[in-house]
Amino acid sequence: MTTQIGLVFFIAAIGLCVIGIGGIVLSRNLFRMVLALAIAEAGANLLLVLAGYRWDAVAPILSAGQMPAPMVDPVPQAMVLTAIVIGVGVQALALTLVVRVKQRYGTLDMQLARERMNAEIDATADVTPPRSQERPRGERPLPAPAGGAHD
Amino acid sequence: MTDLTLAVALPLLAAFVRPLFNAGALRWLGQLIGPVVLALVTVILFAHWSTFSEPFAIALGGFAPPLGIAFYVDRMALLFALAVPLVTLLLWPGDDGADGARRQSLTLLLAASLTGLALSGDLFNLYVFYELAAVASYGLVAGNGSSAGYVAAFRYLMISALGSVVGLLGIGLVYFKTGTLNLAELATLGNELADPQGLAAFAMLAIGFGVKAEMFPVNGWVPEVYGAASRRVAALLAGLASKLAVLVIVRILLLMFPSDEARQLLLVLGILGVVSGELAAYQARDMARMLGWSSIGQLGIVFIAFSLPGEAGLVAGVAAALHHLVVKSALFVLAGPWGGAIDRLRGAATVSALGAGLFVLFALSLLGLPPLPGFWSKFLVIGGLADAGTALHYLGMAAVLTGTVIEGAYLLRVITTLYAPPAGSPAPPRQRGSDLLTAGLFGIALLAAAVMIDPLWQTLDALAVSGVDTAAYQQTVLAAQEAHP
Repeated sequence: MTTQIGLVFFIAAIGLCVIGIGGIVLSRNLFRMVLALAIAEAGANLLLVLAGYRWDAVAPILSAGQMPAPMVDPVPQAMVLTAIVIGVGVQALALTLVVRVKQRYGTLDMQLARERMNAEIDATADVTPPRSQERPRGERPLPAPAGGAHD
Repeated sequence: MTDLTLAVALPLLAAFVRPLFNAGALRWLGQLIGPVVLALVTVILFAHWSTFSEPFAIALGGFAPPLGIAFYVDRMALLFALAVPLVTLLLWPGDDGADGARRQSLTLLLAASLTGLALSGDLFNLYVFYELAAVASYGLVAGNGSSAGYVAAFRYLMISALGSVVGLLGIGLVYFKTGTLNLAELATLGNELADPQGLAAFAMLAIGFGVKAEMFPVNGWVPEVYGAASRRVAALLAGLASKLAVLVIVRILLLMFPSDEARQLLLVLGILGVVSGELAAYQARDMARMLGWSSIGQLGIVFIAFSLPGEAGLVAGVAAALHHLVVKSALFVLAGPWGGAIDRLRGAATVSALGAGLFVLFALSLLGLPPLPGFWSKFLVIGGLADAGTALHYLGMAAVLTGTVIEGAYLLRVITTLYAPPAGSPAPPRQRGSDLLTAGLFGIALLAAAVMIDPLWQTLDALAVSGVDTAAYQQTVLAAQEAHP
């Protein structure tokens, strides 16, 4: 019974990591990336807790006049506490950066923000960007977007 | 002995004290606090370096390892720890405007955590110091104030956080299999990690710590960050921070994963780094991003060197890492006014001859022209690869040599542009005095290394002998119990 519950937790932890990492890699919205990061970190933390967990044990608190019973390994728990704190700090920093990006570039779209960033770096460095598929020679007119073409 | 903990504690304290003296009558104190603390740390570390005889461990907080956290001090750790305050002092950000205090504070935080990375002997503690260094560097990149800086910092943060999650999973996997995270105790269990699970853990840890080391699959942040951040920050990150991350990966490889597969993985990632970095650098048309891509290639060479077995690999790796530390920091400093398009540098040698001369010196050393130190570091790498003699090693040799040819192509292109007749208007940018002074000091260090190559070689050899001695590491750390009251 307990091993089955453990298996559920393991699957949950790995699932959270996969969802989170997938979210970071696949999503274009900056805010969603931060959320995905939070999910991935939760998965990693859960996995660390599970590394030292025992189902038949008590919390690792030793008080006077008490017989030592089987205890949960306290080391991963201490580590996870640290990792959670670090995670919160990094996520808060990420959110302040998201706010700044939105203020400066007016977008939460990673691809757009990245294009504008590269254009800005190119402009400060005084380099003309290389020609590519998206930027054909001679600036052919691109087809008008489907919606809002009549206004 | 315990005064070595001050090398981490003092800059950390100073980082948080610095903003208190931002304005008012004690403003001069705030200006002084960073350089003074860094100079003090340099003196402490140098005293240890000059009187060093035996590796020793420091049990922190009175808890003996493996339960407590330990600092492990050998020549390699001391050398890299000594490089941190020295290079930080050389690249110390001036207090121009309102952001100066913040930038100095973050630089001190970066110095503290990088010193911690060099000394720490516990896997989780390494992770904490690594995150601390990462947060400080996000702040430094974003602190430039440009819009591009914010996007670059966000993308850097995301890649780095993704690496951290993967690294944390690796740490969890190691703990699962062994039940400890103390590097010395892990070294006694070497065989337990010599299986596919262990290799997976190594790959995860390498990717986690490899983000800062500009390792191949997780280095997409490099050109953007170096393009958008101020050049001194780029010098700190490319020169200093990447070397400490490399040191962590090397420690993990030596102590925990002494298997051939782990070395091969590092070798393959290094080869991919060299090829991709140098090719991208050839394409770049502005100096800052060219140097960024080129540092990916250079760090690929460092990884290839460290993947060689035994002392030879360690000597080659440390030599390549130190050489890159000096040269790339100096080149980024020179890229301060010259960071823009390379075409705009036509005739820059006529307005600042010293800057152009220094650039030529560093570029030639990077290429490996004898008798400059860059030649010896590449010579050691190539020699080691030839000795190892498997097909993969020959591939590595081909990658290093091809990389050097490409490097030559783009660096000589810059040099010919610098010495070309000026194009008229606009006038080529002139170097600033402070940048020239910093780069000049790096240049003196490089030339001194070229002259004193023999004692340097012996030092590196002694360093490598104690570096590969994992038995000494175990005994020293696990015996720290008795040494500490």
